[in-house]
Amino acid sequence: MDPARSLGPAQIEALAQLAVSTVLLGGIYALIAVGLTLIFGIMRVVNFAHGEFLMLGMYLAFWAFVLWSVDPYFMLVIAIPLFFLVGLLTYALVMRGVISASHNVQIFTTVGLSTALQNLALVLWTGDFRVVRPWHSTVVLRVAGTAFNLSQVVAFLIAVGLTLALFAFMKWTRTGRIMRATAQDREAATLMGIDTDRVYRFTWAIGIAVVGAAGALVAPLYAIYPTAGLQFVLLAYVVVVLGGLGDMVGAMLGSLIVATVEVVGSYFFGAAWKEVLYFLLFIAVLVFRPAGLFGQRGAETLGA
Amino acid sequence: MRARLARHRGAVVFFGLAALAPLFVHDAFFLDSLILILLWGALSAAWNVASGYAGQVSLGHAAFFGIGAYSAALLSTRWQQSPWLGMLVGVIVSIAAGSVIGYLSNRLRGPYFALSTIAFSQVLLIVASRWRGFTAGSEGIPVPFRPGFSTLGLSHPAWVYLALSLALLYYLVQLYFERSRVGYQLAGVREDEDAAAALGIASRQLKVIAVMLSAALSSIGGTLWAQYVGFVDPFYVFSVDLSVRFALNTIIGGIGTAMGPYLGSIFITSLETYLRATFSGKTGYAGGYLVIYGCALILVVRFAPEGLTGIAARLRSRFMAIAR
Repeated sequence: MDPARSLGPAQIEALAQLAVSTVLLGGIYALIAVGLTLIFGIMRVVNFAHGEFLMLGMYLAFWAFVLWSVDPYFMLVIAIPLFFLVGLLTYALVMRGVISASHNVQIFTTVGLSTALQNLALVLWTGDFRVVRPWHSTVVLRVAGTAFNLSQVVAFLIAVGLTLALFAFMKWTRTGRIMRATAQDREAATLMGIDTDRVYRFTWAIGIAVVGAAGALVAPLYAIYPTAGLQFVLLAYVVVVLGGLGDMVGAMLGSLIVATVEVVGSYFFGAAWKEVLYFLLFIAVLVFRPAGLFGQRGAETLGA
Repeated sequence: MRARLARHRGAVVFFGLAALAPLFVHDAFFLDSLILILLWGALSAAWNVASGYAGQVSLGHAAFFGIGAYSAALLSTRWQQSPWLGMLVGVIVSIAAGSVIGYLSNRLRGPYFALSTIAFSQVLLIVASRWRGFTAGSEGIPVPFRPGFSTLGLSHPAWVYLALSLALLYYLVQLYFERSRVGYQLAGVREDEDAAAALGIASRQLKVIAVMLSAALSSIGGTLWAQYVGFVDPFYVFSVDLSVRFALNTIIGGIGTAMGPYLGSIFITSLETYLRATFSGKTGYAGGYLVIYGCALILVVRFAPEGLTGIAARLRSRFMAIAR
């Protein structure tokens, strides 16, 4: 069945369904990626432990649901401030000392953090797959021949809301301006009386809070296990590199591209091979446009 | 001669003890641990060639390990060929793959390069776990045990000597990178690539060659590991965890030093074996030792970036100062 050749009503429906799925997925991916790109843009650190904070967010939603039957989406009210605190704590304990260290030290610090958190989850909660099934995860909405799950729609709306809020914060608040100034030129910002250590602490905490929230959002949609963060973070790397590391608008466009590749790829080649497609896309972008599809050339070799 | 040997005192003691051990100890558990220490040490040494000596930090070396493991397992189970032939095929494929990764290393630096290596190993993981018709997919491949040297069906003491020869060979390769002209050139590239290039060092070619060599060495280690353990699981041989393990051994032991990967492997592998034996059966402790590794990695890169070899050197010089 080639949809391009015979565009009957069934094919149009399939196309509409693909488009809707792409947008829903892209919105969630954007929220996962935006914290990563924020941390990179301002601190110049690739957070290899980003997925583990997502995984912790998923577990938080799971336990809140199992122990106190709190809906994962109401849990956001607690998850966001809680992960902000986790961010402050990990910054003070781990990141602060390596902020001006070499790339290699930073890579292995976050890799170490990732290994420790992943296996802490394994020790505490075993490797069993867990699922959260609140009432809305089984409600199917049908609009004009397309069907989607209520959880996914709510997750999408909250994700887009949070992403836009973060975007507005960076663009229009004083703190956001200070953060952008630090990203542009660390030394000049220091000379202007900006306390860069505070900026980094705040950036890291916001990045972690956002990805923790994303974890709670995806909890009803995916299985929860200690290495669950890996699949999302690999995807987030693809998104972020596509959009240009550190570029928030780029991350949003990148997440739409990755979601398109994933949805269209699963439709034509089967779900099993979609990941190969986006990794090949990733490697191709790294080879041909390493600064991202929209970024300036050369950023990646300047040691950024 | 004496001065030369003295410089390698640690290596002489380690490799010497490993060579003598099978003569006196017949305990299978001990010999198994020794083989794994040597194999993981050699594999970490292979990682060290690209990441330590050439400065191209990879988090995807499991890709080459997996290529080696799969080549031999597939050739021996599908076409009844010797694993030695599989090793050769693995090396050729890994060199080809290594040239691609090496090419990337010329375009990307630091975290960008590390990310591209992860992506590369993930592509291989997906292909190996999904291409059921060829690789048996996610079920993995059991490697049959056929006694004999040509099929690598060896006894424990024979495996010790095989792993030891590999470890010794990789130690010498690293020494070459430490002492030769190429080694000094690579050190220059690592410290300041633009300056090195300005001095006429062919930095691009050198990096690609180092990554290709490192890939080939990792592949050989992967073949031997798979033949020793007897099972190839795609989710293990291509995992990011495995790539991190090579890095972890080397960094804890001392990155960019010939003995570092082995010191790290002694420390990490025996700790792992001990904790596994102690906590086996008790649910919940499965990943306990990895929590310790993660924390150790954070602490070492921050407070002792030269690893155990660096700490040892510092203690020695302090001791010498006191003795004087």
